Amino acid sequence: MCLRMMGITLARPEFYAKRGILPVLGAGLLLWSAAPARAAGTGQRIEKQFSVTGRPVVVIHNVANGRIEVKSWKNSEVNVIGTQSSNKIGFDIEQVGDRIDVTANVLDASAQPLELEADLQLTVPEETELQLKTETGLIYVEQVVGDMKLESYAGDVHLKEVSGYIIVKTTSGSLVCTQCAGKLDFSSIGGNAQILQPQLNNVNLMTTTGNVLFDGDFVRTGLYSMKSGKGLVEVRFSSTDSFDLKAQTATGIVDNQAAAFLKPDSHTARHIASKAIHGFVGTVGMGLAKVELSSYSGTIRIMKRD
Amino acid sequence: MQCKDVELVLEQEGLEPLPDEARAHLAECRECRNYIADITSLVDAAKKLPPEIAPPDRIWISLRAQLEEEGIIRTPRDVIPVEPGSMWQSISAFFSNRVLATAMVGILIAAAAVFQIRSERTPRVEPPFKTAAVQPIVPPTEKPVTKPTATAPAVAQPSGEFDRTARDLNDQEPVATGMLLASTSPIDASLRDNLKKVNEFIAECEKHLKEQPQDELTREYLSAAYQQKAELLSAMIERGRSIN
Repeated sequence: MCLRMMGITLARPEFYAKRGILPVLGAGLLLWSAAPARAAGTGQRIEKQFSVTGRPVVVIHNVANGRIEVKSWKNSEVNVIGTQSSNKIGFDIEQVGDRIDVTANVLDASAQPLELEADLQLTVPEETELQLKTETGLIYVEQVVGDMKLESYAGDVHLKEVSGYIIVKTTSGSLVCTQCAGKLDFSSIGGNAQILQPQLNNVNLMTTTGNVLFDGDFVRTGLYSMKSGKGLVEVRFSSTDSFDLKAQTATGIVDNQAAAFLKPDSHTARHIASKAIHGFVGTVGMGLAKVELSSYSGTIRIMKRD
Repeated sequence: MQCKDVELVLEQEGLEPLPDEARAHLAECRECRNYIADITSLVDAAKKLPPEIAPPDRIWISLRAQLEEEGIIRTPRDVIPVEPGSMWQSISAFFSNRVLATAMVGILIAAAAVFQIRSERTPRVEPPFKTAAVQPIVPPTEKPVTKPTATAPAVAQPSGEFDRTARDLNDQEPVATGMLLASTSPIDASLRDNLKKVNEFIAECEKHLKEQPQDELTREYLSAAYQQKAELLSAMIERGRSIN
């Protein structure tokens, strides 16, 4: 075909055709016979596009194992691409006004875990509200503005350049939030939370056994609460920040590596109430933001960035 | 008549008909003539404007809701007009309501008394484990509650203000874990593993609170852990239902 396009004509086309087709057919037959049963539905793909007028609401419930990826574009359309490993999963996709519902259903309860893999890839308008729920697999959201609730049992949640009221709930999945803005609520039992270069003005992080890392600026008048039952809570701030800090632990350790930058708290109302609790209060700059760190038995580490 | 007098006449009486004195002044005063001409053209232009457009209902609803929320207005209660009846009917209705109310109070008092007597005579029997379908998971409460009861040996032993919550959750735990017992799914394994972690953490906090009852921070963590346990058990039951 390429030769024909280039203007070259074959002298004996039927000869080349026979020679070209036979090996391909043979190889195909061999691969087909050797492939596992899973291959019957491998690579099944569905794609749908929906026009929206205002700020759409996208609801995804993925009961299968797989990744959910949401990115944005300038179009007033929601594009959904679903891929599934077998025909034992079915996608229900429907539009009701500006709401798009996507559900991955298990059609055969006897299916093996490998047959229950379904990935979803969405492209949405920049201003979109999201409600995503999955069991395992990564949830990835990039450059979306709007309120979002993201839930996962064992899958991680990665957010990049998103803003709005962000709620993340996991059982053991971890959160990585890079350049996020707005308000963030994270709760997990075993998952970690990493907040990097944020512009968040309201943060609530709670994990029972995971670790918490906050590396970035505290917005003035912002409220920040970071808790871990048994894990590490680490905060890295810059010298230009301005916040009141309260760190407390019941049986853990407070590792203050920025004592030189923390002044005694000038606000008389704030103090560690109980003698049974270890911790301290301090102020950086004018103390405009409010930062509360706590860990039941883990370590609280306070550091200044270079 | 002076210019200011003409303005006053216009304010009070409008453009037409102007009194003779005003007309005489206008004949001599160019500024006032221009002023009258401006006003006349404004009135003409206003008359040519389209009729007022009625705002949609949602504007009024939204406005009313906002005013009510701010306490500026109140929604009047619907008043059901009472049809006039005979004196006998009124007396009868009044008497029957009072009688009914008195009878109800009497029944309630009697029932309470019977219940009190019976509960004093018969020993209290704890109900057996309830099924997941009928018993809701109770979120942590910090109210003082009854004495602790026997619980599953693998889970945290409740004490103090979280007794009731702990007991309810411990009742649910065998149900939830039982529903996923046969499952080999990695998710279910993860849920079981996390339940174990939460139970260990609860036990740790409980123990610490017994030693240091004034530790508010530990109390907060314990409350949060019970909340997480409740959510975890709900998730396990939900998954169990979908599997089975």
